[in-house]
Amino acid sequence: MKAQDILSYSFGAIRLRKLRAGLTTLGVVIGIAAIVALLSITQGLQATITRQLQTGFATNTLIVSTGGGFGGGFGSNAEIGSAADSGFKLLINATQTINNITNVEMSMAIIQRAGWIRFNGTDHILTIVGVDFADYASIYSSIFVAESGVIPSDPEDETIVIGKRVSDLYNVSGTVEVLWTNATTLPPRNETYTGDVTAVLKEIGGFSVGGPSDSGVYIPISQAQSFFGTEECNTIIVRLRNDDTATIESVSKAIKEAFSDQVSVTSATAVLTILSSVFSIIQLFLAGIAAISLLVAGIGIMNIMIVSLMERTREIGILKALGMKNRTVLLVFLCESVVVGLIGAVIGIASGWALANIVAIVFRGGGVIMGNQAATAGGMTITPLLTPTVATLALIFGVGVSAIFALYPAWRASKLKPVEALRYE
Amino acid sequence: MLGKVPVQALRGINLKVESGDFLSILGASGSGKSTLLNLIGALDKATEGKMLIEGTDVSTLNDNQLADLRRRIGFVFQFFNLIPRFTARENVELSMAIAGLSRSDRRKRAEELLETVGLRERMNHKPTELSGGEQQRVAIARALANNPKFLVMDEPTGNIDSKTAKEIICLIKKLNEKKAVTIIMVTHDQHLASQSKRIVQMSDGLITKEIVS
Repeated sequence: MKAQDILSYSFGAIRLRKLRAGLTTLGVVIGIAAIVALLSITQGLQATITRQLQTGFATNTLIVSTGGGFGGGFGSNAEIGSAADSGFKLLINATQTINNITNVEMSMAIIQRAGWIRFNGTDHILTIVGVDFADYASIYSSIFVAESGVIPSDPEDETIVIGKRVSDLYNVSGTVEVLWTNATTLPPRNETYTGDVTAVLKEIGGFSVGGPSDSGVYIPISQAQSFFGTEECNTIIVRLRNDDTATIESVSKAIKEAFSDQVSVTSATAVLTILSSVFSIIQLFLAGIAAISLLVAGIGIMNIMIVSLMERTREIGILKALGMKNRTVLLVFLCESVVVGLIGAVIGIASGWALANIVAIVFRGGGVIMGNQAATAGGMTITPLLTPTVATLALIFGVGVSAIFALYPAWRASKLKPVEALRYE
Repeated sequence: MLGKVPVQALRGINLKVESGDFLSILGASGSGKSTLLNLIGALDKATEGKMLIEGTDVSTLNDNQLADLRRRIGFVFQFFNLIPRFTARENVELSMAIAGLSRSDRRKRAEELLETVGLRERMNHKPTELSGGEQQRVAIARALANNPKFLVMDEPTGNIDSKTAKEIICLIKKLNEKKAVTIIMVTHDQHLASQSKRIVQMSDGLITKEIVS
């Protein structure tokens, strides 16, 4: 029997039981759609985070902080060696020590406090960041850029630079009060800093580790020192002369030695490496869960094929009496299942992709401003990513599962004895 | 074999059929005639003895060789055994498709065959839309599709009314006389049997009487 005849025979059998075939296909569709949706969302998320880290967290920078890393989250995984929390204070003038280390181009201190801004009588909780505007703009030259206004050059002026999201959400402009609660005095006292918003940053998007973010409020470091009443800083950003692994390692080591192992040093490269391995595990885990639904679909296929085999015992008897070979009977049954698997996989890939995009759109609308110390999540933009590899694998997986689970029923069909099959009622 | 209990349906039969013959096998239910027919049609294998078709012992053939052999034997069943979802023409084409004929060749031949059995007008109807006699004629056309060495018929008029049965008898006779098709047929029908060249009477798995007209 010719291949095209086998195919059209199988198609005919599928068409005869549309609802049943449709439901069987639906099982495959759900399994494949789940796999595709989960993988394209996580891959898209990974790509987005990686890209944003690469812009917001240049590969030739190191972040020096006290104690257990910065910003919690993956920061604490990424640090190269950890320092014990022993009351060590990282001072702003530590930058001078760091600047003397070989291969360090420059360094700058950052002071951060959770606080709020008061504008038109309304308070908004935010992260207040004290930085040297010139140095910050030099290290993050692509993202610490004003969209409107001018980033002030004189650090002695009482000025404020705000992120795009702060501007969009709270419509802040002109003279603004920035406050924080000083808990070192008794009773705790709210300190106020009044300044003019001189610049709104252009949109950065999503994550920022160490670097500027859409939801940050920036004031000159010298002002921050007196406002927060401290010489201590949270982090020091170090720019290296190059981003060679050897340079990163040697400078990290030198910095830790300079501060008697009381600081932790984080590199962008290390964060990215950890991040990608974390994502691989997440992907594997999610794909595994989705694969279970495909397994269920496979069992459904097997069940349906066995029922179909029983219903069509007589038909198989006829085919064999007409001289159909065992192998051809096997192929006819396998083909039915593979067609179901193929249709299911194609629809599944398409609907999985659609699902991923819907999830991405829902995500885009959300997003929160967090008063977190260093890592700030803005409105995360996930662009789902469906690589040809994932699509191809999903297709092979869908068809493969259908074929494997149809193998036993098809084999049983092929082994039927014509006389017995014809006698079957 | 019926179920798990072995039944000796045939107990020593010696029968030879020549090319161009028209043989009827008569017998009561349980006389073993259907078993004999299944052996002749290569649907079953004998547990003992030899069943030779053109000198080849069927019991020595494997499943693949048996399938090849069946393509050259035309089997007509008592209950027609047409595929319900196929039209008359598609049912006739199916046996040619199994034999590997091209689409255009088998369509042409199916139409010719359906014309021979007088169903040209009804060839695009499905079995449920055809009468018993028409269905049996489709089954005969299907059996003839691959130019078989011989036709094996299991009670071809067993499930149709007597008027239609006469038409079927005429058709079978015509095939034997005009087209020299060898026919081996099991029947209850004395009238149908009387039309054949040879009649074999069976009882309890043995041939009890043979009449050559």
